Amino acid sequence: MMRKLLQVELMKIKRRGFWFLTFLGPIGVVALQVVNYSVRWDYLKTLSDDHWLFYLQNVSGFTPLALVLGIAILTSSMASIEIETNAWKQLLALPVRKTSVYLAKFTVLAGLLFIASIVLCVATLAYGLTLEFGGAVPVADLLEYSFYPFFASLPILALQLWVAMVSENQGWPITAGVLNVILTYSAYTLPDWAIWKWPSLINDWNEPLYSGLMGLGVGLVIYMVGMMDFVRRDVK
Amino acid sequence: MGVEVIEVEYIVETTKLTKIFGKETAVKGLNMKIPRGEIYGFLGPNGAGKTTTIRMLLGLMKPTSGSVNIFGKDLRSDKLNILRKVGSLVENPSYYPHLTAYENLEAMRKLIGCEKARIHEVLEIVRLTEVTNKKVKGFSLGMKQRLGIAMALLNQPELLILDEPTNGLDPSGIIEVRNLIKSLPQTYGMTVLISSHLLSEVDQVATTVGILSKGKMIYQDSIEAMRRHAQSQITIRVSHGERAWRSLMAAGIKTQFEGDTVMLHDHTDDATVAGAVRALVQENISVYRIEEERRTLEDIFLQMTTKERAV
Repeated sequence: MMRKLLQVELMKIKRRGFWFLTFLGPIGVVALQVVNYSVRWDYLKTLSDDHWLFYLQNVSGFTPLALVLGIAILTSSMASIEIETNAWKQLLALPVRKTSVYLAKFTVLAGLLFIASIVLCVATLAYGLTLEFGGAVPVADLLEYSFYPFFASLPILALQLWVAMVSENQGWPITAGVLNVILTYSAYTLPDWAIWKWPSLINDWNEPLYSGLMGLGVGLVIYMVGMMDFVRRDVK
Repeated sequence: MGVEVIEVEYIVETTKLTKIFGKETAVKGLNMKIPRGEIYGFLGPNGAGKTTTIRMLLGLMKPTSGSVNIFGKDLRSDKLNILRKVGSLVENPSYYPHLTAYENLEAMRKLIGCEKARIHEVLEIVRLTEVTNKKVKGFSLGMKQRLGIAMALLNQPELLILDEPTNGLDPSGIIEVRNLIKSLPQTYGMTVLISSHLLSEVDQVATTVGILSKGKMIYQDSIEAMRRHAQSQITIRVSHGERAWRSLMAAGIKTQFEGDTVMLHDHTDDATVAGAVRALVQENISVYRIEEERRTLEDIFLQMTTKERAV
């Protein structure tokens, strides 16, 4: 059943710009550095000795924002597919479990974001190589900066999905999305426990892995709570 | 298809079904019984609780109290097995506008698990074959409604639930859908629940009716039994109303008079009418008009629902 539901969800996101956004996000983030490095490479050279690491940090400055913006847009669009003609009542009158429907939607969204992370990783590496920093590519750092933000932003995805799945109009998921983006933008001023700080991978322990692990754990908890609420509610 | 053949008297049977939203009771102690192979006309004014009831039958809403039995199984414990054999169109049709008619049905087919050929079959039934590969976005309201009916028929349901199915259809479309619904029990052995706020809509297809008013079932029986309520009355317009009334009374015929008309109630067989006319003519009263007024089902329906309102 899960495989069928996933196929159906993938069918439903056709012609809705989901795939375009999935590629636009990460490529946009790297494109900003293309501009940055082509305009003032001579200046940037003087700021750090470890050119690769400095470059990765520059790229990752925009990753959280792009990721959370992506979550907001993709989740709202995902919900709008069902909200538009109240297709919920049609879908949920079929022999499908509500928990499976919820999981299918989450899986598709998380999958798109993961693909975006892969694209980010490849694009970061590709442009980095053209800059000819010299020395070995810091593979561990590259993977860290590309994939930890994905795990660290899972709580925001779970929260956003919850709002989107139980709202009867698209206003709520969009409002939630805007708030999430603003809070993520102010990550530096937030305390460590705030989920919006995690995608930036900054914490007092100075250990990006913790942000990723907390994201995975808390994301799972919010996912479960959201799913239970979705199952409990009546379909209007 | 199902190997098990369990003969149940009622395809749908609800027991004291109740739904309360906050302070408002939308459905009150509903005991709905739909016999196998019937077309059940579910009637009631707007806001009577028809759609809420239908949502509870489909498991979309949880009853506040009471239970729903479909195919003899409890909806709470056997929801997925029951829904496998139920087709539905609730209120406005739901569809994915950016997908084609075929893709919409395909998305549903994958979850139901029927043959791909069935998609073309149902499109043929609702006459949408020509627009199979067009996006639903551009469909007219009537076409969307047809697509909704096609979706409801996709899994060859044993129970078909249609909420206001002729909404937005043109007159020829209404007749078509009506004929389609009429043919379903004989052709496919389906049991159909069709809801409407228009009696005329249901009158022509239903074999059983249930009338809902303010969340309560105020009438539930065969349509024939309901027609029996629709007694006729004979009115006779005469030159002298009161004299006519007296002379008919003398002849042993109970009437009422109002101005220059007398009305015969219960005894409207031919012999009584003839006797009344004879009595009037003998008394030298001129008879201008003899009319039969049949109370339509609409009148009964109105009477029932307003009586409820007065309480």
